[in-house]
Amino acid sequence: MMKISTNRRQFLKTTALTFGIPTFIPASALGRDGHVAPSNRIVIGAIGIGPRGRQVLSCFLKEKDVQFVAIADVQESRRETVRRMVLRAYDRDDCVKYRDMDELLARDDIDATLICTGDHWHALASMRAAKAGKDIYCEKPCSMTIGETQDLADTVKRYQRVFQAGTQRRNVENFRYACDLATTGKLGRIHTVHAGILALREDFSWLPEEPLPASEEVNWDAWLGPAPWRPYNEKYVQGRWRGYYDFNGGATLPEWGAHTIDLCQLAAGADGTAPVEYEAIDDNTIQAKYASGIKLVMRLAGFKGEGDWVVPGTCPIRFEGDEGWVEAADSGGIASNPKTLVKDFPRGGLSGTDPTKHVRDFLDCVKSRKQPAANADVTRYGHIVSHAASIAWRVGRKVRFDPVGETFIDDAEANRMIRRALRAPWTA
Amino acid sequence: MDGLNDLTSFEIMSSSSIPTEASQLEILASGASMHAKAVACQKIVYVAGPKSIGPLAALLSDKHLSDYARSGLEVIEDPAASQALLEALSNLKGRQLAGVIHSLGVRREKKAVPALGKLAADETHGVQAEAIASLGMIGSEEAADVLGPIIAKGKEPLKSDAGHAALIAAGHLAAEGNAGAAERLAKELQTVFPEGPIHDASIHLSVGGSK
Repeated sequence: MMKISTNRRQFLKTTALTFGIPTFIPASALGRDGHVAPSNRIVIGAIGIGPRGRQVLSCFLKEKDVQFVAIADVQESRRETVRRMVLRAYDRDDCVKYRDMDELLARDDIDATLICTGDHWHALASMRAAKAGKDIYCEKPCSMTIGETQDLADTVKRYQRVFQAGTQRRNVENFRYACDLATTGKLGRIHTVHAGILALREDFSWLPEEPLPASEEVNWDAWLGPAPWRPYNEKYVQGRWRGYYDFNGGATLPEWGAHTIDLCQLAAGADGTAPVEYEAIDDNTIQAKYASGIKLVMRLAGFKGEGDWVVPGTCPIRFEGDEGWVEAADSGGIASNPKTLVKDFPRGGLSGTDPTKHVRDFLDCVKSRKQPAANADVTRYGHIVSHAASIAWRVGRKVRFDPVGETFIDDAEANRMIRRALRAPWTA
Repeated sequence: MDGLNDLTSFEIMSSSSIPTEASQLEILASGASMHAKAVACQKIVYVAGPKSIGPLAALLSDKHLSDYARSGLEVIEDPAASQALLEALSNLKGRQLAGVIHSLGVRREKKAVPALGKLAADETHGVQAEAIASLGMIGSEEAADVLGPIIAKGKEPLKSDAGHAALIAAGHLAAEGNAGAAERLAKELQTVFPEGPIHDASIHLSVGGSK
């Protein structure tokens, strides 16, 4: 399926010479012993792999039609961790480490990229990958603003790439079952959909400055990338960047909203549109209304059972119709009224955080060129809703939104929050 | 580094804390820390008007605050904001110049096309790629005309930069009713780039992919 071009063959030859890869080739690499032949493998490189990235990467490494060949990260410790993961998975030490993502993207032999940087890099790295002709699996949230969301979807469409957002709950059984109940009329006419979100916050503080590490160890300038400059502190690069305005778009609402609002969009039959009104009811509840009249309630959930949810677990969703309701969460659980709606649901499915099937969906689409479950268009509208809701919270009043023009109606203040300036020279 | 030793103060916005323009301009005019001025630039975005243009433009040459200042200048509707960015082109260099070039592209400022055309051809400033990208974002026929010779005769990587920029320009032209110019651009790209992402995207554009 994934025909190796002359350039790819030349690269492999050159790489083998440059990096001293042993000439012994295991049977698995030749497609024997039940393995997939190299010409049918999807060649993948990753950009920015931290803890969550390693979970997703482990799913890729288990797939027999994947050949993982390269990691680009601005931190040597993370590059080395990935190299060792690949060594353990393949029993071959041929994962090439790059400091600069553009060097990885310049490789003609790479078909697709796994992007798990910090949120502030997701859209730009994805767009760079699309321009380089790579298919993309990108962790969520995929954008910092409505503007980035639009640019990302437009770029993926322009270069006709296969794109899968890391909103894996579209491929997790209990969530999918709940969505199916809503879209097949089992709940009657849907009138309200509920999305669990974290408490909203925008933290403008800076941590105290610490001495810059050597750029070979941590390239702080590249780590910041398009985010505004701030002094270095090790905590950021260790993963404690969440909650800061410069690194978390949408007042952290997209953190879970990328999943839960996305599923509400699906349940409401609204994958190609967005609500037309948004209003913050309090600091942890935002209500929106679709043109169809369906109400979207984004309300507090959390890691400690916050909020008034029936099913335990993070990222809860609830769909209500005039004949019943259904609720699901990351525990894998599902509940409904009437209870008979979920009597046939098979227990023992994936937890909400498990991307196994989502990764497989992406790989199948790379081969078929079909659209995966969380494709760029689906992601466009789901993320726009997250960002628009956070803007309603920010301005503290009801805002009206045009889902076609993708701007706020008669609201200059809200429209100013559609984009943020990118730090030079970091662009797509 | 001066002015950075008071950065530990926590500031978390709630939903009712959009400031006034005057309060943020007061911070920018004061001897406040770099952090305080950076945050003032970010918060003034919501409310900035003509009065903010001068104080923000004054920060465009600042090593760290330049990008913060651009966040305000990119959204102020008043044409004077574009004028301030245009005037800054001749006074800046390096990353600060690259940032202003990008902001003119974000604003789709057609008056910037001649200046960006010169910068796109000028090897001494080191901002050719940024100028090319902004010409694509502006996406007027005049901007496309500047990109044409770079696509036809430029050296890599600028040739490919111009190809990518031209795809964005063609999208703008088609969306704004100039399908003929968009089609000409797409055909030129197909000729100059016989294979690869730019070629494939230009074919997609020709069959209506920009709609």
